Amino acid sequence: MIDLITYIARSLVEDPTQVQVTHQRRRDSINFQLQVAQEDMGRVIGKNGRVANAIRTLLNVPASGIGKKVNLDIVEPQ
Amino acid sequence: MNNNRATLEVIAQSVAEAIEKGLADLGLDRDAVEITVLDEGGSGLLGIGSRQARVRISILSGEEPDQSIDSSSSPPDGEKDPTLKLAEEIVSELLEKMNLEAKVEARFGEPSESLPHQPILVDITGNDLSILIGRRAKTLNALQYITRLILGKELGHGVPLSIDVEGYRKRREMQVRQLARRVAEQVADTGRQQSLEPMPPNERRFAHLELQDEPRVYTESEGEDPYRKVVIHPSK
Repeated sequence: MIDLITYIARSLVEDPTQVQVTHQRRRDSINFQLQVAQEDMGRVIGKNGRVANAIRTLLNVPASGIGKKVNLDIVEPQ
Repeated sequence: MNNNRATLEVIAQSVAEAIEKGLADLGLDRDAVEITVLDEGGSGLLGIGSRQARVRISILSGEEPDQSIDSSSSPPDGEKDPTLKLAEEIVSELLEKMNLEAKVEARFGEPSESLPHQPILVDITGNDLSILIGRRAKTLNALQYITRLILGKELGHGVPLSIDVEGYRKRREMQVRQLARRVAEQVADTGRQQSLEPMPPNERRFAHLELQDEPRVYTESEGEDPYRKVVIHPSK
């Protein structure tokens, strides 16, 4: 699932080197954080969060295969 | 002589350019077509009265272009259009990373005057792909949206692109059209409006299209996505 998020994010941003995905496993869920360059935030979020929501929808496919819920947050670079 | 052989008229700055453009659109070589120059064009004086060149390209029999829009036949991989290849690569990459095994095949749809680029149709086939469609095609639409964005970014311009899984969209179109017909009959009989179930925009469109020439009813969409639905009213 990290591969999926990374592939989509790298394909959409201007600066792929700044794409980072981190995650924490919980018992029934996995939380992902996608970090991109400040200027690229809009590209992975989209108008009204449309891009981010589409990524979340796609993530549900592999997630349901292993019976887990997934959350995806887009975070600002530190 | 075949009377109804396919022809294409192309307009461009010069005759050579028009021929090149036409052949590229058809995906054919110069010797597979017959070219008629309709207007050589002219630069005019100081650009005044300049005309564009116009050529007609007729496809010689035995070299029909890919009109088999609905068949899954396609030229061997070696000669596949680079844009189609790219679309296939992106979709395959996404599916692989979603842990799905499927066959991906892209082709061009019918060009339309309202579209600046030829639409791309991607077919996904395989077993157990209902998960890829999702409720009200939510997952399929997400896949289509992301693919369109990635492809648009790679090409530097937007492209109309539609993804279908195991003929799902085609089937839905039939279902929606039949449903709209049936409900319209009831509305016409009872004089009472009825709404269809909520549908995504592309499906609502089929209901509107199906009933646009039906004089006894008129249709509207109401509500907000994703619960927006078609309402069929009796004509006043």
